[in-house]
Amino acid sequence: MINIFIDDKPFKVKEGTTVLKAAEEAGIAIPHLCFHSAFPPEGSCRMCLVEIEGLPKLELACSTQVREGMKVSTRSEKVIEARKGVLEFLLAEHPPDCPICDKAGECKLQDYYEEYGLFDNRFRESKEKKQKNVKIGKSLILDQERCILCTRCVRFLRDITKTRELGVFNRGLHSEINTYNGEPVNNNYSGNLAEICPVGAITDSDFRFKTRNWFLKEGESICPLCSRGCNIYIESHKGFARFPVPKRVYRIKSRENHEVNGFWICDLGRYGYSYLDEGRLDKICVNNGKGNLTWQECVVSLTDEIKKLHSAKKASRIALILNLWLSNEELFLIKKIFVDDLGVKNIYFVDSSGGETDDFLLTSERCPNKRGAQEIGYDLKPLDSENLMNKTDLLLIFGMPAYDPNNLAEIKALFENVKTKIYFSSHSDELCSLADIVLPTALIPEKEGSLTNVDGIVQKFLQVLEAPGECRPEWEVFVDLGRELGININYYKQFNTPEVVLKEMRKEISFFENKSE
Amino acid sequence: MKEKILSKHFVLENFYKIDVYLQKKGYQAVKKALNEKTPENILEEVKAANLRGRGGAGFPAGVKWSFVPQQVDKPKYLCVNADEGEPGTFKDRYIMSHDPHLLLEGIIITSYCVGIHTAFIYIRGEYEAVALRLEKAISEAYKNGFLGKNILESGFDLDVYVHRGAGAYICGEETALLESLEGKRGNPRLKPPFPASIGLFQSPTVINNVETLSNIPSIILKGAKWFCKKGLPEDGGTRIFGVSGMVKKPGIYELSIGTNLKDIIFKHAKGMAEGKKLKAVIPGGLSAPILKADEIDIKMDFDSLVNANSMLGSAAIVVIDEDTSILDVLKVVTRFYSHESCGQCTPCRIGSSWINKIVRRICDGKGKNGDIDNIIRLASNILGNTLCPLGDAAAMPILAIIKKFREEIESYVSN
Repeated sequence: MINIFIDDKPFKVKEGTTVLKAAEEAGIAIPHLCFHSAFPPEGSCRMCLVEIEGLPKLELACSTQVREGMKVSTRSEKVIEARKGVLEFLLAEHPPDCPICDKAGECKLQDYYEEYGLFDNRFRESKEKKQKNVKIGKSLILDQERCILCTRCVRFLRDITKTRELGVFNRGLHSEINTYNGEPVNNNYSGNLAEICPVGAITDSDFRFKTRNWFLKEGESICPLCSRGCNIYIESHKGFARFPVPKRVYRIKSRENHEVNGFWICDLGRYGYSYLDEGRLDKICVNNGKGNLTWQECVVSLTDEIKKLHSAKKASRIALILNLWLSNEELFLIKKIFVDDLGVKNIYFVDSSGGETDDFLLTSERCPNKRGAQEIGYDLKPLDSENLMNKTDLLLIFGMPAYDPNNLAEIKALFENVKTKIYFSSHSDELCSLADIVLPTALIPEKEGSLTNVDGIVQKFLQVLEAPGECRPEWEVFVDLGRELGININYYKQFNTPEVVLKEMRKEISFFENKSE
Repeated sequence: MKEKILSKHFVLENFYKIDVYLQKKGYQAVKKALNEKTPENILEEVKAANLRGRGGAGFPAGVKWSFVPQQVDKPKYLCVNADEGEPGTFKDRYIMSHDPHLLLEGIIITSYCVGIHTAFIYIRGEYEAVALRLEKAISEAYKNGFLGKNILESGFDLDVYVHRGAGAYICGEETALLESLEGKRGNPRLKPPFPASIGLFQSPTVINNVETLSNIPSIILKGAKWFCKKGLPEDGGTRIFGVSGMVKKPGIYELSIGTNLKDIIFKHAKGMAEGKKLKAVIPGGLSAPILKADEIDIKMDFDSLVNANSMLGSAAIVVIDEDTSILDVLKVVTRFYSHESCGQCTPCRIGSSWINKIVRRICDGKGKNGDIDNIIRLASNILGNTLCPLGDAAAMPILAIIKKFREEIESYVSN
């Protein structure tokens, strides 16, 4: 650690760090546009100029390393003047598009103008005309007039994806970002470009003109679409009347986590969020003629069913088909009840083999909690209906979002063979009409819990969306079931939150013992 | 001056051919350096000669070489900056076309001194004929054993390549030159790291101007003391002054460093053409702040010009007469820098073109009150705030022209 002064206040900072980082850690924000922590300093926007005692010129905060005794001014008159000067240059050629720009409200140029600018326009010349609607990728639209040439996009494609689809063309004022010979940005991380663009130059047609970002509520969550468990923000609001389907979620953004995903998320995770709103099951369906049931009644009826089999020593005639979207806590509770308390042996998992890995973040397992299931002690057998035929009286099956079992025929045949079928599902699909009782469940952002990613990192997630209609999280249902069954009533009484379940897991399973969240 | 260092053979016919060059005792310096001197000797000699860089910044060459780390597991490179792009400058072209082997000698000795085995001559794209002549000279040097493996049985190897630029002024900036040489877009790099430690292909690199290197052979042959006497104690040798504009005899004049500017214009270049009066002089290439007619009684060396708030730069002297409108000069300056800004950093990219737009408007007779103050404000916001020296090179002459000729420019605004 070394000693430096920022704006006359002493700080102890790490050796080798930059002025910008040191100031940030000290809670002093230095404006910057081209600098992004994922890349080496570029030094081209000139917004982060600061005054360093003893040096004749202003220096870049983003690239200047701290030295013992260094005295930095981030708000001296000279610095503020330079900042204003840079802002004035940037805004001179920048179109006053804000009212129709998607970035307005979260635009760094706008923010800095509010903070340091607020000058009258002294640019009396005509602005350069450039292309305002260049399709540069699957869902990316480039507005060259808004571009401030920070080259974050170019550097992202050069350093992170190494696909190099974008470059800077022409020189001076005519410099512009573009693709090479019209070859579009084509990689699984393209959506990050709209996110790292500090202004509205690259916008995402998935989000473009759909809402304004200041209406959005930002919730921290975990992406469930593969076993990487990338940290994300889910941005939602109650929706506009002009959308026929009530839409809550408008955008997924990456959330920085250097253990897991760095600064990035893949396009699959970014754009694959429609399942959160579309095709949802929000009511309990009872197909066995018992009329309308409440959750409580369903749990009681299920408990009775299980108790009957258990007391007749027929627990072996219970079978479960689980999925890997269930949280650590849910999988743990299911194991406690069905394996430890009841001795059920027939536990299978729906097919989780997904797709190809891209050797960066996306894994081949298109489910979030395979590792968790393994560590809890499941052996992840795929469904073997032969083994269940004529030997099963009660089948509990857990569907995944937009569950499209490739072994549907096998499951249907099994359904015909089994007396009572209980289907837990977040979405309404073909199996809903075939099961006896269908129970609507909450999705990951609609409940609390934790997931274990492919590398064994246990990550907690919180509820960021309201569960629609009668949807309930599975963990709650199983705590109820555990209590109703009465085999180990006090054990299940303690679990009033998933956090308590995880605490118990830490006691019982060594893998979870030392895992922070 | 009795004996010239660089240009004494320019008048000789076919001197660019190695046979003629050898007849006139060519490659003696290389022989002396490789056979009789150690790299350390050479470095000491060059340091003692106070040879300052001829590209513009005037950094002492020997000091620059000594920044290159001795023990590295990477190759070291020499890049010869022959991207002579500063408007008004045409000295390197003469050296390369009339005396290419002198430059090659300089390259060989420098490489031997620093421990370099690969040198690149980065030559501006427009100098096609000169590049061909250089290539010819290089192949002659290979044939005669002055380049290639085991030069003059000394065990020292050196390869030299000519690389042509593609017409961008910015590629004369040393780090943009490196980027361009690596096959990338010629944008300047952020410094530090400096090229001496991380330069071409991430390796230690020496970058010197053509004229700088062409002085090395004489320093080796005649010694640092002799060289210093040719110029000033702290600023050794001669400069090739390129005089252009409204003089009777424009051209190159090799003179001692410290020669009076007035003498260069009125004695050597024979005074003003067509009997016109002198109005102003740009003393060191377009980016050097302008001098008024009454400011030219000045010694042409780095320090004297800095004291006069200008710079010696590339020693290219542009002479402007009374008939030239200063607004035209300003227009040429602003148009050039806005056209040549690479566009990488904000103040230079937008500032230089903004100023150019205002000047163009004034030229169209649409000047407004406040335009001049606005130009001063914008140029001041560029000055010192850009990534590379091009921003300063753009802002300095603009500020100087307005400061010294404000009245005249104001007359264009109000008319």
